[in-house]
Amino acid sequence: MYLHWLAISYSLCLPYLILGSFAAHTEQFDEDLVLRSLRDGKVLSRFSFTTRLNGTTPRNPQSLGSEDSSQHYTLFPLALGQVLREYAVSELHLSLNAGKWNYERWGYPEESGVGTGAELWAWMGAGDPTTVDERWQGLRNALAGLFCASLGSLDEQRTTSPSLAFAPEGSLPNWTLPHLLRHASLPSEHVCTENLTPFLKLLPCKALSGIASLLNPHRLFDADWHGMSVHVLWHEDMGVEVRLAFQAVFDPIRMSLEQKRDWSLQSIFDRSIRRSCPVAASSQIRVELPRDQAYSLGPDPTEIDGEYAIFNTKNVTEELNVSLRWPFEAIFEYPLEPPTVPLTHFSVRRILTGSSQSRGQLSITIQNNLPAQIQTIYLETMPWLLEFYLHTLRVHCDGRSRDDLMSLITYTLPVPHSRPTLFEAALTLPPKATIQITMDVTKSFLRYTEHPPDAQRGWDLPPAVFVPINIPTSLNQTTSLSQDKRSGRPLELRRIYTPTLLVDLATPDFSMPYNVIIMSCTLIALTFGSIFNLLTRRFVLVRVTDSEEKQDKVD
Amino acid sequence: MLLVPLPFLSQGTYIDENALQPGAVNTYWSWGDVHRADRYLEGLEALRDNNASSNERADFISKEFKRLGLDASTQRYHYAAATGAIDGVNAYAVLSSPRSSGSEAMVISASWLSRTGEGDGTLNLRGVSTVLSLAAFLKKYSLWAKDIVFVIGDGYLDGMHAWLSAYHGAPSSVLEADSLELPSGVIWTALNIDYPGHSFSHLGIFFEGVNGRLPNQDLLNSFQHISRYTGGVPVLVYDHLDPRDYPGREVEMSNIPSWLPDFVKNMEDVQEYSYAAKNVLRHVGYQARGMPSGVHGLFHQFRIDAITIFAVPAPGPHGFHAIGRVVESTLRTMNNLLERLHASFFFYLLKGPTTFMKIGTYLPSAVLISVALLFGGLGEWVNAGWVARPAFPSDEKSKDILAGPTQLPLKSRWTRRSRPVLPVLSIICFTHATGLLLFFLLTKSWVLDHLPVMSPILFLLVSLLAPAAFFSLPSQTLPPSQPFSTILKSFTLCLASTVISIISVLNFSLAATLAVLLGVPLSMVAPSPRVFGRIGNYIGYITLGFGWLFFIPQVQKAVWAWEVLGIWFAPFVCLVYAPLVMQAAIVCLFTS
Repeated sequence: MYLHWLAISYSLCLPYLILGSFAAHTEQFDEDLVLRSLRDGKVLSRFSFTTRLNGTTPRNPQSLGSEDSSQHYTLFPLALGQVLREYAVSELHLSLNAGKWNYERWGYPEESGVGTGAELWAWMGAGDPTTVDERWQGLRNALAGLFCASLGSLDEQRTTSPSLAFAPEGSLPNWTLPHLLRHASLPSEHVCTENLTPFLKLLPCKALSGIASLLNPHRLFDADWHGMSVHVLWHEDMGVEVRLAFQAVFDPIRMSLEQKRDWSLQSIFDRSIRRSCPVAASSQIRVELPRDQAYSLGPDPTEIDGEYAIFNTKNVTEELNVSLRWPFEAIFEYPLEPPTVPLTHFSVRRILTGSSQSRGQLSITIQNNLPAQIQTIYLETMPWLLEFYLHTLRVHCDGRSRDDLMSLITYTLPVPHSRPTLFEAALTLPPKATIQITMDVTKSFLRYTEHPPDAQRGWDLPPAVFVPINIPTSLNQTTSLSQDKRSGRPLELRRIYTPTLLVDLATPDFSMPYNVIIMSCTLIALTFGSIFNLLTRRFVLVRVTDSEEKQDKVD
Repeated sequence: MLLVPLPFLSQGTYIDENALQPGAVNTYWSWGDVHRADRYLEGLEALRDNNASSNERADFISKEFKRLGLDASTQRYHYAAATGAIDGVNAYAVLSSPRSSGSEAMVISASWLSRTGEGDGTLNLRGVSTVLSLAAFLKKYSLWAKDIVFVIGDGYLDGMHAWLSAYHGAPSSVLEADSLELPSGVIWTALNIDYPGHSFSHLGIFFEGVNGRLPNQDLLNSFQHISRYTGGVPVLVYDHLDPRDYPGREVEMSNIPSWLPDFVKNMEDVQEYSYAAKNVLRHVGYQARGMPSGVHGLFHQFRIDAITIFAVPAPGPHGFHAIGRVVESTLRTMNNLLERLHASFFFYLLKGPTTFMKIGTYLPSAVLISVALLFGGLGEWVNAGWVARPAFPSDEKSKDILAGPTQLPLKSRWTRRSRPVLPVLSIICFTHATGLLLFFLLTKSWVLDHLPVMSPILFLLVSLLAPAAFFSLPSQTLPPSQPFSTILKSFTLCLASTVISIISVLNFSLAATLAVLLGVPLSMVAPSPRVFGRIGNYIGYITLGFGWLFFIPQVQKAVWAWEVLGIWFAPFVCLVYAPLVMQAAIVCLFTS
């Protein structure tokens, strides 16, 4: 009887809820997997899950005092939506990556945020009753809880507001008060399966069906590079969009016994697609077709669109195992020469030299691969552990001093123990030139309590970021660098991240022998002091003169 | 000091860092990899037979690295040293570890020339092919937490020094080297493979670095453990075979004097002593000169713990299969490190593969001598301040004594006298200036090129400079009662004691050598009453101080080591040791 009543009430409520939510906005979920064979035999895969909440706007921070409208979603992740509404975030980007992206071999990534470790940046509207910094703190703690990552340590010692490099990717609502950027990165963050599980929970079909069923942690975390990211954008004409992406670079040669680069979904993910996600509006696998050699692709794709073979996975009737083979290749031979057409506009390497624990030199070498002038933004967000000597900043171009190539320098001084350095400048790269930037740095001396209590490997420094701006489009069309038009994103938003650095700061020896030495030295000093005192002090009888004695008697 | 090799003063080695876990993994290095190493060896032998230039060799090696799918590059370098120019090309490759930020790295290196005879021209072809085939093998695994950098240094020490200087941005006035195109992370540990023979019986550990720095003992101990239990290869300190392992050949291999009676020779402790003494002497030979005992020694100055694995040439039984497994397992151990090696000892004397001495045990031997010198010097200082004079009759006290019933013999009386410090200090400064001048001249190419002619001239120059200084002293015009020689001796002794005790903490072997060379001669020095005695003593001391000028190859090598590798031995001898002995020689010139 009771059960019966429950069933009735449930069946009455459910349509109401669905209808109610549909009345406010419509939701749409799209999924997409891109697979690309790279030059060195590796395979790049990028999963993208987009949920769109049509007709909505981000919350205005001035309305934070009053009660928010109720949140009823069917596809949109509620856990994330609550966080976004609570802290009135207009745009948010979070990426958790493991590995070093090799731009020279792999070209530009599909998701441009590939800096090692965690990176979080958000645009938030200013306004009462809470400040942007208070909401930023709440946001990173909430995301830390949501994604099981140590984002809580992205505190004010790591937070900066670089104005040029992290422009909003969507549109920002036009409120009375301006929007502010907060950016922080944590290069020592390790990404593993405890981050993937909450990530999968945000998907409407979890990892049960659709292309998300390929996300097999055993394989993903054995990849040469892997990273997950969450992007929240607002498009003025559409609404709020949440895009969850997972990007990984696999090495089929390492997994194959015969040194071949052939791959299939089964071989790289150890899974194939058996069911489609029923709520997905669109679902597809795009395989970039190789250009160099004869290949065989199986099974037959749904359609071929230019360089891509597209497999529609909206309705999977039988098991789908996409595979790409090079039948005439006995073993894969690595290319010995660099590509004739460079894969990136320019290549960057950044090193920290100097083996002493007090001083060092930061050296950045940028090589322009194009026969045209490029402008780029150079950004360093350095924790106060490393302080720049800005007067030693030198720019050399092919061996000659060219300080004029750097302009628009923004520099925020670090405050030891509280605020990081922000160094942002515009660089002009002459055609086919190599630019070297050097700057002396000093390594800070930490307080006793600032040393972490665990094993001491050094301090990770965040990557430098380069954002190309103003690249001649005519050149771009002739080269293979126009991958951008496929992903439909403007070239200006491609960022290049350098690898992270590790710095050794002066560290006291916290080990037991050190304590023993201190203890025994103290004891010896005490013993020596007292014995020396006894030996050198002369004990003499002081005779009191008669007159004084008499005086005493009189008294 | 003779007690140092005694067995009861040593203790067994042990592994202090828990993270290392040596020998705890299965190794996968197989005969297929041995075959690959053999194929690389064929390629290298073809290069050797064609007399390939450095450039061709580096191109070949970097191309092989690129075939494996590694980022590889070459680096040219040029040394413009006074001892002669050196050119070469290094080849190196970086295996980026999957899923890691690449901010930490391990190095596996081999130099083109083996360390046999300190780079006398023996090729290290098998070492190079081991590194190449290891690169192919290690790439197949995704478990590396640190980047692995493979470096094939040209020459013996010069190539690796150029590479390391460029890697760490340590500029040198004599070195011009390309900057490295492939950066990697902070290097914590490095293994250098030296495999000159056809096959080997033992793996020897070489560990002394530039200026006497030593790697953390955990690295040696883990390697020793792995080699013994994973690779099944016995480990030696250096290439010293233990005579006790060869029952039939004890007599020819042992360094116990043959005139000793047999029962002494067969005593266990005597054999242990002689083996330990041999190891300690070899160690002192490297460390005192500051010369690295292999290519690994160049790493230590950049806080990288490194050793050379030397495959002791023998007819058998081990080859690529054994060394590959040992290196694989050692790399896995190094890969386990969460922080720099810090737990175990940095100062030790290795007396055998599994026995060592702690700093607390061996340090007193040098410090005691230094303390003795200090007391000697202070004694001389007191002597200089007092003089015994015969008692004057006018002195009331002595009168009383004379008048006394005991009839003591004529008593002398201690009286104070002034101690002229300034002239003595100027002599000391002059001797050190002479050392500086000598060092300055030795680093000039026009002196070095004609050293057989120049060294007698230099020797004559310094031996004439000392008397010149002595006779030009204004002190000669002062009354001879002033105790110049005593004050000079006291200062020299105190200075020597200070130098020895400071050096003993940095470089024990150098301190011990100094203690032996300076201890007795400086304490014994005294002015001789006879002219011939004075001249004889003087010549003896000058020869002790500057006689090394006649060891021409050694002088050239030491100057080269200073210019190219920055080894402090040559300037130390010229600026510290020789002036101290010269001061003693000047003491001999005094008449009283």
